[in-house]
Amino acid sequence: MKIGRGTLIFFLIIAVWLTFTLVGGVSAEPSGQQMGLSLVGEVIDRQNQPVFEAQVQLLQSDEVIAEGLTQGDGSFRLALPTQIGKDLSLRVERQHFKSAEIDIAAEEFDQLVPGEALTLPTIQLERKITIAFWVATLVFLGMLLLIALEKLHNVLAALTGVSLVLGISYLGKPLFEDLFIFDFTRALQYIDWNVIFLIMGMMIVIAVVEGTGLFHWLAFFAYRISRGKAWLLMAILMVITAVASAFLDNVTTMLLMTPITVQIALALGLNPLTLLIPEVLASNVGGIITLIGTPTNILIGSYAAIPFSGFLSNLSPGVFISLIGLFVYCLIAYRKDLSHATSKVSPVLLEKLEENARIKEPAHLVKAGWVGLGMLVLFLAGEHFHLIPAVTAILGATALLVWIRPDVEEMIEAVDWTTLVFFMALFIVVGGIQEVGLISLLAQWVASLVGENLPLAMIVVIWVSALFSTVVANIPFTAAMLPVIGYLTSTVPGAGNLALFFCLSVGSAMGGNGSLIGASANMVTAGIAERAGYPISYAYFIRKGMPALVITVTLAMVWLLLRF
Amino acid sequence: MGGILCPIRGGPGSQGAIKTGISLAKDIQEALHFLYVVNLDFLNLTEHGRTQVISEEMRGMGEFILLRAQALAEQNGIEAQWTVRQGNVMDEIMAMAKEIKASHIILGQPKHTEQNVFTMERLKDFVEHCEAETGAKVVLAETGGEE
Repeated sequence: MKIGRGTLIFFLIIAVWLTFTLVGGVSAEPSGQQMGLSLVGEVIDRQNQPVFEAQVQLLQSDEVIAEGLTQGDGSFRLALPTQIGKDLSLRVERQHFKSAEIDIAAEEFDQLVPGEALTLPTIQLERKITIAFWVATLVFLGMLLLIALEKLHNVLAALTGVSLVLGISYLGKPLFEDLFIFDFTRALQYIDWNVIFLIMGMMIVIAVVEGTGLFHWLAFFAYRISRGKAWLLMAILMVITAVASAFLDNVTTMLLMTPITVQIALALGLNPLTLLIPEVLASNVGGIITLIGTPTNILIGSYAAIPFSGFLSNLSPGVFISLIGLFVYCLIAYRKDLSHATSKVSPVLLEKLEENARIKEPAHLVKAGWVGLGMLVLFLAGEHFHLIPAVTAILGATALLVWIRPDVEEMIEAVDWTTLVFFMALFIVVGGIQEVGLISLLAQWVASLVGENLPLAMIVVIWVSALFSTVVANIPFTAAMLPVIGYLTSTVPGAGNLALFFCLSVGSAMGGNGSLIGASANMVTAGIAERAGYPISYAYFIRKGMPALVITVTLAMVWLLLRF
Repeated sequence: MGGILCPIRGGPGSQGAIKTGISLAKDIQEALHFLYVVNLDFLNLTEHGRTQVISEEMRGMGEFILLRAQALAEQNGIEAQWTVRQGNVMDEIMAMAKEIKASHIILGQPKHTEQNVFTMERLKDFVEHCEAETGAKVVLAETGGEE
């Protein structure tokens, strides 16, 4: 039996996930010495984050009498020998941290009875900048540069980053110990499997929907009801794109909307960019309404445990206001072009438009609609019974596959494995800079900048992420910023409501409107428009997109400041 | 020999090629063939690896662009055929030229390199190569003009 490439990768991912989960589960078990005396404590870093897998040794006159590793929550428990003498000290060591050694008075054990534990004060480790810090940082920056300059495909750039951090860790360590960043097991722990499975499940659902011709039908419907009024057509297309982007990823939305929009624009005698630019700007704005609308929201939602309804209730009013602002801006920016529209469309072209706008798989569309509705209910209600979004996505995808019964091999092939591999590789590269302490330094720096002022922190996070997202790919940027925002959330008074995560969501997504390379959706729109004879230059996009960025981010920021 | 091959992308940049093709078809009384080549190289710039659906979408867009060119030819009294192909633009132009045994190939001459598939240098090389391979005469049309 022939096994396809997609199937092979699918089972490989499942196998790695299961192995990792099982191994991780076993290693996370606390040590079971319950009968004798024990020593317990907790190791944290400067950001009060637990330090995982730090080696803790109890020394008696420089001889190790008990040792163990810290768990995922930074805690440790050392089983002590029955006879304990004097001159005790505790040594804590961890790669990329300075060692800590504290003295322990032997008398403290005298009052304990067997089975009891002596609890030590929390131990804080200081970061140590080694050569590994610079290596991981350079690899991360190099990856961003390769993606931004389009020197390598995103996946190749991220895989190169993974190869470098792991290769240098393994091959460099024997030569120079400080070159070690992390081992393979530790690298795998940085992969957020919730994100991977959520994206995979949604891809299967989208694969069914995108073949039905729904977007052509919607766009043609917009053309029909606008009755030749170009401004109305633009408004409807923006709404369709924004709403579609909230439930599908923006790239898919624009891949499906751009060709039909070009046709409608040409039929009306309009320059297609008059409709395409507002559409893609609306797509980048509208995508953030839901957890599944953008990859950055999926990352943020998984990291901060923000449910589907969290994005919907906290961001949709701001997005609505921003879209109104965007529409008014687009009306002004394209007022001359919009006035060139003609209502007299050639019958031949109209016939072709109608032909292209037919729903191709009505039965599939109906089934996908029901499953989509069910998923929406589960996304919204799931938070009440701890159903994580990744499980909902897998349930929905499986239900749809069982109901429609397509060729399973084809459907597995329909999953965009390149994106999933990109995410896994990205998690590891970002894990590298997290491991060596770059994220901690960044977090400390941002925290010192904003102090204890929540509104200032919100403004800084929104604008810094928006401006960064115009020049660097927003997915790696967001992945790197998550621990920073997590730290600020724990240090800035009042930020416990996760306001800063919503600011990151707004900034990283709407920031994509600032330049052509700011979002993948911009690039595919430009790619298709160029193939229709209407190239979108970098300068043109900045000219149209930057004012849109300023307007939409400002309006969303005002909403968030009022909301939180 | 039979026919004039006019590969186009649509947009203002292709108007010169379309007009030249129509004019030449009138002059030499040969069939006019418009060609649109679906090329998905731009997907390399994103993580998006799936091409089947987008390829169909691009084909539909290409057909629409060619229908407009055909309508313009008809307005000028010329009956034109059109074809959508997928692949490398240069390879597909030559393959199509051989298939229809084209006597002429109309190419848009770039004003600005970013608005055309060909830069001037690449265009010269392609013209020489194309004429040698297909036996067709390549005519360079001025690009531009409003639609």
